[in-house]
Amino acid sequence: MAHTHKHAGVRAIDAFAYASGLNGWNPTFKVVLSVGTILVCLAADCVPVSLAVILSMGALIVRRGGLPLHDYIGLLGVPLAFLLLSGAAVAAQITSGPTGDWNLVLPWFSVCVTRASLRFALGLTLKALGAVSAMYLLALSTPAGELTSVLRRAHLPGILVELMYLIYRFIFILLDTHARMKDAAESRLGDRDFRTACRSFGQTAGNLLLIALKKSGAYYDAMTARCYDGGLAFWEEEKPFRPVQAAAALAYWAALVVLALAVR
Amino acid sequence: MEEPILQACGLQFSYDGKTPALRGVSLDVRAGERIAVLGCNGAGKSTFFLCLNGVLTPTGGTVCLHGQPVGKKDLTRLRSSVGVVFQNADDQIIASTVQAEISFGPMNLRLPMDEVKRRVDGAIDYMALEAYRHRPPHYLSGGEKKRVSIADIIAMESEVILFDEPSASLDPAGAAMLEDVLGRLADAGKTLLISTHDMDFAFRWATRAVVFAGGEIIADDTPEGVFRNAEILKQARLAPPAMLTVFDALRTRGLFGADTPVPRTPDALVRLVQKV
Repeated sequence: MAHTHKHAGVRAIDAFAYASGLNGWNPTFKVVLSVGTILVCLAADCVPVSLAVILSMGALIVRRGGLPLHDYIGLLGVPLAFLLLSGAAVAAQITSGPTGDWNLVLPWFSVCVTRASLRFALGLTLKALGAVSAMYLLALSTPAGELTSVLRRAHLPGILVELMYLIYRFIFILLDTHARMKDAAESRLGDRDFRTACRSFGQTAGNLLLIALKKSGAYYDAMTARCYDGGLAFWEEEKPFRPVQAAAALAYWAALVVLALAVR
Repeated sequence: MEEPILQACGLQFSYDGKTPALRGVSLDVRAGERIAVLGCNGAGKSTFFLCLNGVLTPTGGTVCLHGQPVGKKDLTRLRSSVGVVFQNADDQIIASTVQAEISFGPMNLRLPMDEVKRRVDGAIDYMALEAYRHRPPHYLSGGEKKRVSIADIIAMESEVILFDEPSASLDPAGAAMLEDVLGRLADAGKTLLISTHDMDFAFRWATRAVVFAGGEIIADDTPEGVFRNAEILKQARLAPPAMLTVFDALRTRGLFGADTPVPRTPDALVRLVQKV
């Protein structure tokens, strides 16, 4: 494979999506499965269902998708940190005097946590994590281009769909350009101290804007040369939709609903 | 003489309205010609190509296709008959998979889906891209992207193909691939115009050489005729191909007769020397 950049951020998710064993699945089905599972998880609003969604989605991504568990946990780290912080904020209350089941007394106020608020925060965090897992099923198995074509079929306005196609392609061009400029700056001691590094960053960013403008002109010329007249259209790969998958998805949702009713 | 397939008559163009990029360029292109377009950077080659394809509208002069002047209304006819392979493949590739990318041109031609698929499959086969069909362009190497950008234009099945500095930034294997493709396209009867800085390539490949300098065509001759014209080479700041220099040196030493045709490739020169 040509690119040798470190796997990070948008590149990593894109690379995982292409390599995923679930990439062969019909993208519309994956959107429906992901969104449906999010809805069931949110509507059920109970810890066992959230846990079941987190584990089953994780298993699907890791076992069927072939994403190494280590990478999956790494990718979950970012939303997890965010969720834990907001969960803590939900669980804790600020009061003037010490109340609740646990409290931390500070000079002018105290931070209190009650059993109920802790349970609520835990439920909320797990519910959100379940939704994130279901979202990851889609993001880690479906390249952005295919997602865009699903949106096109869902009759999203053409201009938005076309922008998404072009932005997706452009992200990688600009990332490559930026990586090259950064290397060139570093090779000339552009990061020798903090001040210089800030200056280099500013100049690189400014240059990137000019390059983006120039490239958009070149792009437009190249599109016009191939008879572009205002409507982007491609022959998109048709990935077969298998009824057995639909049946499995329905069974999965039904099981989640049964689980939700059973614990209630 | 048969009628030119594509004609430029007194083309003028300026990007900023002041400095002219083309100052009255005229050229007749006949079917099946292999034309090398030479000249240093900024001589007007790329601008000329964009005018020939209708991306840029010349500020003066006309482009004629099959003898018919091309107006604003039939730009699509011009663009579907004259394809451009851009110098930088990354400026040309827009779709998120190779297959979608190659289909962009045929889709814009509003062809029926079966025909689009036939052409895309044909172009993928032609450029040996089957293994990359569903790959996104950002995971391809430079040479692979070049192949995709050529397949883009092959799928449009245009009569004339313009290559803007195709060998720039290709490795030797990529350059060999390019030359093979150019040979096959020429054999299939396509009319090819290639702008290049590779004089050795221009000398062995082209049937005709056109030299640009300062937005004008200063020479239009056989490659040998152009490269033997010291005045033109000096004016356009070009160096003659190595093959010609070596052959002339050997001939001055009396190794070959005065009327021996100049060999185009190193192999041909070796065979000639072995016969002495």
